[in-house]
Amino acid sequence: MLRSALMLLTTLALVYPAGAQVETTASLDLNEPELISQIAPASELLERRAHLSVEDVTLDEGLHALREASGVPLAFSPSRLEGNGTVTCRCDDATVQTALDRLLAGTDFEFVPLDGRILIESSDRGRAAPESGSAADRLFQDLRSSVATTELRLVARSPQQFGRTGTVTGRVVSLETGQPLGAAQVEAVGTGLGAITDAAGQYSIASVPAGEVQIRVQTIGHATQSRTVQVVAGESIQVDFELRQEAIGLDAIVVTGQAGATRRREVGVSIGGLSASDIDLAPVSGTQEMLAGRVPGATVMANTGQPGRGGTMVLRGLNSLTQGNSPLIYVDGVRMFSEGAAGGLMPFNDINPGDIDRIEVVRGPAATTIYGTEASAGVIQIFTKRGTDGRAVWEAETQFGFNQWDPSTSQDPSGFFLAECTGPNLVTSQGVQFEDVTCPSSGSWLELGQVQRHFLSVRGGSEDPSFQYYLSGNFNREGGVIAPGSSNDRGVRANFDFAPADNLSFGARVMYNQRESQFLPDGNNFRGFLLNVTRGPANNYKIGADPANDLIREQELTNEHDHYVLGFSVDHTPSDRFNQQLRIGYDYNAIVNENHRPFGHATDVPGFISVQDWKHYVLSFDYSGSFRNQFGDNVTSRFSWGGQLFEDTRRQLNVTGNEFAGPGQPTVTSASRTSTTADIRLRVINAGMFIEEQIGLFDRLYITAGARFDGNSAFGDDFGIQMYPKLNASYIISDHDFWPLEWAEPVQLRAAVGDAGRAPGAFDAVQTWNPISGDDGSPAFTPGQLGNPDLGPERSREYEVGMDATFLQGRLGVDVSYFHQTTRDALIGMAPPASLGFLSSQLENVGVIESTGVELELTGVFLQSDQLDWRGRFHLATSNSEAVDVAGQEIILGSGRWNNFIREGYPVPSLFGTRVVNAGEMAEPVLEEDQFIGTVYPTRTLGMGTTLTALNGQVTLDVHGEFQGGHYLQNAVGFQNALRNVWVPCYEAQQAAAAGDPSALNSIPAEDRYKCLSPDEPYSYPGWLESADFFKLRSASLNLQLPERWIPGAETARLTLSGRNLLTITDYTGLDPEVTDFGFSVQRQEYYNIPPTRRFLASLRVTF
Amino acid sequence: MPKANPVKTRSMKMSARTSRLGLAGLLVLLLGLGTGCSDFLEVTNPGPLTDEQLNDPAAMAGLVTGMSADLSFGLSRAAFVVSLAAGEQNHGGSYLWAGQASRGLITDAMEEAPHVWGFMHRARWVAEAGLDRMQEVMGGDFTSSPLSARAYLLAGYSNRLLGETVCDAVFDGQAPVDFSQHFDRAEAHFTESIGIAQAAGASTLETSARAGRATVRAALGDWSGAVSDAAQVPTDFQYDAIFSLNTTREYNYVYSETGNRLEASVFNTDWEEVFDDPRVPWDTIYDSGGGLRVGQDGLTPHFQQGKYPGWDENIPLVKGAEMRMIEAEAQLRAGNVDEAFNLVNEQRAHFGLPALETPGRPTRGMHSSRSTSPWSGSKAGTSGI
Repeated sequence: MLRSALMLLTTLALVYPAGAQVETTASLDLNEPELISQIAPASELLERRAHLSVEDVTLDEGLHALREASGVPLAFSPSRLEGNGTVTCRCDDATVQTALDRLLAGTDFEFVPLDGRILIESSDRGRAAPESGSAADRLFQDLRSSVATTELRLVARSPQQFGRTGTVTGRVVSLETGQPLGAAQVEAVGTGLGAITDAAGQYSIASVPAGEVQIRVQTIGHATQSRTVQVVAGESIQVDFELRQEAIGLDAIVVTGQAGATRRREVGVSIGGLSASDIDLAPVSGTQEMLAGRVPGATVMANTGQPGRGGTMVLRGLNSLTQGNSPLIYVDGVRMFSEGAAGGLMPFNDINPGDIDRIEVVRGPAATTIYGTEASAGVIQIFTKRGTDGRAVWEAETQFGFNQWDPSTSQDPSGFFLAECTGPNLVTSQGVQFEDVTCPSSGSWLELGQVQRHFLSVRGGSEDPSFQYYLSGNFNREGGVIAPGSSNDRGVRANFDFAPADNLSFGARVMYNQRESQFLPDGNNFRGFLLNVTRGPANNYKIGADPANDLIREQELTNEHDHYVLGFSVDHTPSDRFNQQLRIGYDYNAIVNENHRPFGHATDVPGFISVQDWKHYVLSFDYSGSFRNQFGDNVTSRFSWGGQLFEDTRRQLNVTGNEFAGPGQPTVTSASRTSTTADIRLRVINAGMFIEEQIGLFDRLYITAGARFDGNSAFGDDFGIQMYPKLNASYIISDHDFWPLEWAEPVQLRAAVGDAGRAPGAFDAVQTWNPISGDDGSPAFTPGQLGNPDLGPERSREYEVGMDATFLQGRLGVDVSYFHQTTRDALIGMAPPASLGFLSSQLENVGVIESTGVELELTGVFLQSDQLDWRGRFHLATSNSEAVDVAGQEIILGSGRWNNFIREGYPVPSLFGTRVVNAGEMAEPVLEEDQFIGTVYPTRTLGMGTTLTALNGQVTLDVHGEFQGGHYLQNAVGFQNALRNVWVPCYEAQQAAAAGDPSALNSIPAEDRYKCLSPDEPYSYPGWLESADFFKLRSASLNLQLPERWIPGAETARLTLSGRNLLTITDYTGLDPEVTDFGFSVQRQEYYNIPPTRRFLASLRVTF
Repeated sequence: MPKANPVKTRSMKMSARTSRLGLAGLLVLLLGLGTGCSDFLEVTNPGPLTDEQLNDPAAMAGLVTGMSADLSFGLSRAAFVVSLAAGEQNHGGSYLWAGQASRGLITDAMEEAPHVWGFMHRARWVAEAGLDRMQEVMGGDFTSSPLSARAYLLAGYSNRLLGETVCDAVFDGQAPVDFSQHFDRAEAHFTESIGIAQAAGASTLETSARAGRATVRAALGDWSGAVSDAAQVPTDFQYDAIFSLNTTREYNYVYSETGNRLEASVFNTDWEEVFDDPRVPWDTIYDSGGGLRVGQDGLTPHFQQGKYPGWDENIPLVKGAEMRMIEAEAQLRAGNVDEAFNLVNEQRAHFGLPALETPGRPTRGMHSSRSTSPWSGSKAGTSGI
């Protein structure tokens, strides 16, 4: 009997790390299949109750009885147990471990946990094993050797080898709602077989070896569930699952910031993100809008409402003064150009939202060490959709809607003279009536900007050969609220996956997007539309004495953007323990900006044209591998290594032409005078490698340590190799048996520390001279960069602690983190003395910046039934920075008049200006000059939303809002317009002042007197630094599932009505608290920029 | 209903084979990348030159042209800012620094957008450091090359610009010293220039250097030396800082801010009442509808200076007409009013203006002549009597 029991070890193989596999099988009996059971941690097996009471039985009988009574798999060789006399164990209340101790006491055997079972083996296993014996004995010997060399694994028996298989089918649904769960992974544990559920939650796994098999299901957002079933050869068994919702999915796989695909439970840092379902209903036009207000710690500020342009995005605030704070962007493992591009575009937004499967966000150096230099601002990785086996599934979506803006209020019915450009409301504070003689017939400059979006995708695949595909195309047209602002883009994507074998797969990703935008001149530009219109009669474009702002629109600002991303990947898994990946990527952006003032233009009669040809390529090679090992049941090891190389190339050519001979559509060569104003060719190589070791204990404690070695061509020929270390730990404390809180599971505690860096520019380390021309076109030189051969990267170190937990049986999820970042050797532009001839500021590693913050994310299910599901989400993130050391300098960002400074002891950056001490008093203003007013970037952000699903999922209502606060913005619009008597909030004060009666000012508060009545220092704006706190209702949508019969052939059909930026609540008096005139620069100020507008959309999505 | 994942049901033999193939492929690929990396990792970016690359005799001409370009660049910005500070033009725009300069807040204005302080210093440093480099690179040719004569000339004018504009002189990052040291340096440079120009037969450079030396000697109070130099400069002589439409860097900045952008206006200055004087030309301009154009502030009537009506208008560094005024001032200092007026009238005749009657004593008219000659030009009103 014992011999037959041993035979249940059906398939054992030694696998060599290099990938060549040697199958070791034996002709074994399957009569006692219970030994193939769920792999449980050894500690759990040994701590089970033995339920054993035997007296004077042979050792093999005792072990057999223990196995039967406790259910713990025991593996032993009966031939080796003979001759050990009898044993007695009254161990009913004892643990398995105690029982084994007693049974094996005085024998030559001991027990060893091994892959979910307990192996009984000889105590002298270190000695050479006998060569003779049965096949089972020899197998046992192999097994012992493997244990000793830690190279053992259990491999499923191929069904073809035994011809005894069955089929497992079933359905996976939500425990709470009963709704099917599609795309869930179903696995027959230990067999290498699995399936993915379809939209109806159905799955089927064929060729499952007969016997007891553990079926495990996992999907994001739900607790992993396993069931052990008896598979009968030639038969099919139905195994259904009801998965409990789990707010924190610790078995979810994450990739970003890790050496490879890793379970979240193994990761000691916070990883934020979104899945497609999170933003499925939101009316977004780009990736940045998807993230706005959705990911704690990610601050997205729209910057502008010009269609096609992008916004500023930072993770955990600012940690660099000069090197940008944009996170690195990856798409399917390919690094993209991550900064703002020419023309104010953000290439990140070219990824069509419909193509996105999920987004991972790692926020700081503790999590980004593996990316080395360039990664201190965090990393965002986008995963696009992939094909699935089976027939082609088509999805089509079409959206129609409009953008809208109405700045009028009861105080200012003309809405900054934008909503009305004629009529009685166009009046200055001094009572001067005016109207624009070029005002459109509608009486308003504003219009509804038409929006169209069309999207079509197909996904499918074949089983043999294994090939999956995902193809999509989209066309979008977005009209601005002031003509001719608009942006049209069209794109295609093709994702292919091909697996010629179990352990080898290839992937190819291709994206192409083409965008054509036309911008309205705006911002700090005397030819800007908002600057002129909102200044009323004090504008720059007139016919006679009257404003004629339509003349501005003779100027054309156009932008063409071609963007493609190519990615090729190889995933090779020679064994369960060894895998390696290679990613090769190419990201290409080509932008042409054109600025054209035609012949006869109102302020430039001869005409002008400029063309900027801007290209940026990122070529990336990324190789990584990892080797997993297991020491007994409870200790795992994963050693990872890898190397990356990035080539970053920028080409830019600016040409201008002045003075045309006559009208027409010119090129630069049409002009009588042409000039090349920029020819930039920069190439930077960043290369590095990393090693990382992770130790896992009991599958509940993981400790990871690693280091990245990085070099950058900006540091010269030796690449200035830098080392960035990391250390983090993850502890699933709720996995302990002693965990007393059943209502709080799982609970993960995290702690991490890690470094990352930022490299300076290509020429910052060397002294250079710039070629110029002088003396009417003769070649010449002028000083360029002073140079600093000792320049190094700035280094950021981050400490992070946190907790992920699920409470109340999945109804409440909590993710909370605290971080502390310190950037040392911060690169600061130090102005050399002008008398040394080099005027460009020279970067020096002299600064220290600190930043701390807390991120709290809550997800909750308020109500759940078959008919109704109501859940909510909330997050709070704080970020407080301080310039600890800036070498005693005051750093002026841009120009002093923007009042954006970096000073020691204050946030980065800060606004300093004049404070009216008695702001609210009806008195002469009492001023304190050069006072700290506040920080430029939000110190706290809140995201909050709720989703209500009713009528068994037929109707869904989703609302999401965002608050950004704690920051200030310079309202230059208010100042400039007040100076010209056309700022409505100043009308009362200015009219009182003009009355000639000093007592008229008695009702005017001191702050208004200061701001509105000729400040002491014109054009320096010190009193116009306003709180920019705002709440915006980012999105609201109503989703209706349509009956399938309404659209013949459709599997599903959905109608969605949605709106974006529907409501703004703020005390800021400018046009919008979210905009800036400085694009992607660190400093911010509003200066006549078109604000983000409302968007209304109706969408129909059909799958067939 | 989906079926089992076929990838996972393949035979293990296939796996072993493809594993080896895949691994071999990866190794070959990585090996290829590795062997190709040595060239790939060499990064050479075109555009800027290293400092060492300028140590070439063939680069000396470009170096001197650079001195000229940087002097023009700094000069035109200084001319604009100082024209505001001196009340030759009035602020009618929205630049902070321009408004401050117009109200006499020179310090802030100098540190602001046009960075006049820096541009003037760069011009001086480029010229003087360039001379050191030229001496080293050119060896014996240095003392007889017109390039050297021009380099000294430009070093002299760049120092004169600073001396006429700044309160303290700062050289190469050292502690501030009296501004007159710029004049001292300028005089020495002009003297060197005269010597080399004579040796090289470069008469225009020689005359320009004499004229320049006359101005700095006057500034230093060496009136006899100034008159001695001025006497050798014809009234119609002029030596310019060069501006061009060739590139935007070569544009005349005064025109950029008064003709292209309407930041400053003659409106509300002393000169708005002076008509038909070729030394202080200005005019009103109108939009297409016939309205008088206003400045960038939307309020100030734009009376556009006409001395530099285009981006390519040169700014005189020195004029023979100014030499007559130096001589006139020397005569005045000596009490010779009639002689002084004769020289003033010689200057006026040069500009086609009628002669002034000799009053027998200094008058406001003389003041005007002294200051209008360089109006918005080389001295920008900073050295008026």
